[in-house]
This record gives sequence, C-alpha cells and structure tokens, in this order.
Amino acid sequence: MAGHDDSGSSDKKSSDAMDLPIFNAENLQSNMKVIYYSRTFMSIIGGVTAGILGFTGLTGFIFYLFIMAITSVGLTAKTGFSIRSYFDSWNQIVLDGFLGGLMSFVLFWTFAYDIVHIF
Amino acid sequence: MAEELVLDTAIRDWVLIPLSVVMVLIGILRYFVSKLMRSSQVPDVKIVKEGQVIVRARNLRAAANFIPAKSFRARRFYYSNEENGLLFVPKGQSQNAQAQMFSDPNMAMDMMKKNLSMIIPQTLTFAWVNFFFSGFVAAKIPFPLTQRFRSMLQNGIDLSTVDVSYVSSRSWYFLNLFGLRGLFSLILGEENATDDTQRMMQMSGFGVDPTKSLGAEKDGLDIVQHDWALPKFEQRAESVLRKLVH
Repeated sequence: MAGHDDSGSSDKKSSDAMDLPIFNAENLQSNMKVIYYSRTFMSIIGGVTAGILGFTGLTGFIFYLFIMAITSVGLTAKTGFSIRSYFDSWNQIVLDGFLGGLMSFVLFWTFAYDIVHIF
Repeated sequence: MAEELVLDTAIRDWVLIPLSVVMVLIGILRYFVSKLMRSSQVPDVKIVKEGQVIVRARNLRAAANFIPAKSFRARRFYYSNEENGLLFVPKGQSQNAQAQMFSDPNMAMDMMKKNLSMIIPQTLTFAWVNFFFSGFVAAKIPFPLTQRFRSMLQNGIDLSTVDVSYVSSRSWYFLNLFGLRGLFSLILGEENATDDTQRMMQMSGFGVDPTKSLGAEKDGLDIVQHDWALPKFEQRAESVLRKLVH
C-alpha cells in the first residue's frame, strides 16, 4: 500500500492545517481495498490456525478478535503510525471488514478443526 | 455435548474435502465462463457522452477551490447556462432517451446471461450434493449453538437427538457457499463474487433516466460556494518554511 498512495498522503496531510477536505478519492478507495484484502486473508489464516490448534466455543471467537486486533496493529504500523494520512478516520482501520471476515473465519475454522480433531 | 459421535474418516476423505474443493473449483470456473460470455457491446455514443460530461462536472465541483473565482465562474457557465450549457437538457428529450434504453434488447440479453451464469452452477452443485451426499453428518462446527439453528445446520437429517453443532453435508454446502466469498476475492482479484451484488445494484438502478442525473449535477454545480484555497496555501507554505528555518 505504499507507492501510488504517496500522493494521497501528501494531499491529505495538508488538510490538517485548515478545514478543507483535500484527498484523492481513488487512492482512498484503494486503501480501503487493501484493508479488506488483508482482513480476508488474515481471517482465513486465523481460521485455519484456530482449527489446527483445536479451539472450541468462545475461545475461537476470542481468537478471531485477537487476529483482527493484530491486523489492525499491522495496518497501523504499515501506515507508519499516521493513519490520518491514509484514511478518513482511525475506526476505518479497526472496524472495516470485521464482519465480512467472520464468515470466512468460521468456515475455515470448522474445516481445519474437523479434519484435524473430529475424524 | 453428552456423547461424541464418531465420524468415519471416509466421510472426511470422500465428502468434506471433495465438496470444498469442488466448490472452489466451480467458483473459479464460473468466473472464467462469465468472463468469456461477457459480450463487448458497443456503447451508445450519446450515453457515453453524457456520462463523461457528468464526470467532468463532478471533477469541477470537487476541485472548485483550487482555481480562481473567475475561472470557476467561467467553467460553471460553460456547463450550466440555459442556452447551450453541457448540462442543460431541453424539455422534450428526456422521454426519448428512456424509451430507447428499454427497447435495447442487447441490454436485457446481457443481464440474463449474467444471471444464468450465476444460477446454473449453483443449481447443479446443489443437485450434485443432494444426490450423492444427502442424509448424513459430514462435519461438526467447533462452537455450540441453540436449537434454532437445527433447521439451518442439519438440513436433510431428521433426527432431533443429534447435537446441533453437527452439520449435515447439505448444510456444509451452504456454509461453503457463503464463506468462500472471501477466498474468491483473494484468488480472483477484484471482479469476484462480491461483484455480483454490485451488479445487482446497478440493475435495480438501471431504468434511471440519464438526463435526470445531468439535471442533478447541474443543480449541484449551481449551489457550490466558491472559496479559493490558494491564498491560504501561501500562508501555510510560509509557516512550513519558517518551521524548517528555525
């Protein structure tokens, strides 16, 4: 998510000085897409991990929260801890795609759990 | 969970894994088939023109504050004056365009193709699952659920004593159907399963009169409060430079 986002970041930064919304909508959208992809990827990986480790019940969902938290921290680190230069607000990085990944997580969790532990 | 059911490993090898793999492969196949079937229709010149004008007007509205007031007014006049502005639509034309759009058979054909490419593989897969794998427990979800979920998860098994967290093969198919959407978006890129829902949205807004959006854009342009931003940029640059010097 570096490279072509740079123009967006420099544009966005200037809005701190005054209350003028200056950002590149396309770059913003591509950043959102990056969030969505990384969340999906992490939820699939997390689901397989949870299944192999044999989590059941609430533990698994807590593990999902944990995975999502790690993803958020990772994304924040990727922005160089200056979220405002890439996104509208910080809760986009924390909450976006949260529920979308849950379905994939449950599926892969079940799949791995069944293969490893049930049979 | 009072007693654990023992599931045959043959179920894993011949039902659970094949079912998931087949679902993934069918998803990929569907993607390529729909890509092949997509007819490259020649877009109507008038519609493309209107769309481009709207995009340009929108750009002007978004970037209004980066050009001087005089330039902005000139551009706005160019788009929205009452005689020959680009966004100005004469009265009688609007009906015509809509009728033309509806009578276009190519559009309806394209829509039907898209729908068919979505429905046929799903029906076939469901029939396949029903025929070969109906009536036994294929998987177990690792978290407890209430009785309400029985009809959802044990579709095809008529046993009320089995724990709800056991999943019948037909329901495993449904779980796959919904859960694999994320995987498809990863392996197929942007034009994925979620794209279908977006396409549906486009379809529902399909009959919208294009001239109406021209009028809306004109109204939006008319009410823009122009406020040139560049003088403030000089101050900002000055403060930044000062900060650098000090």
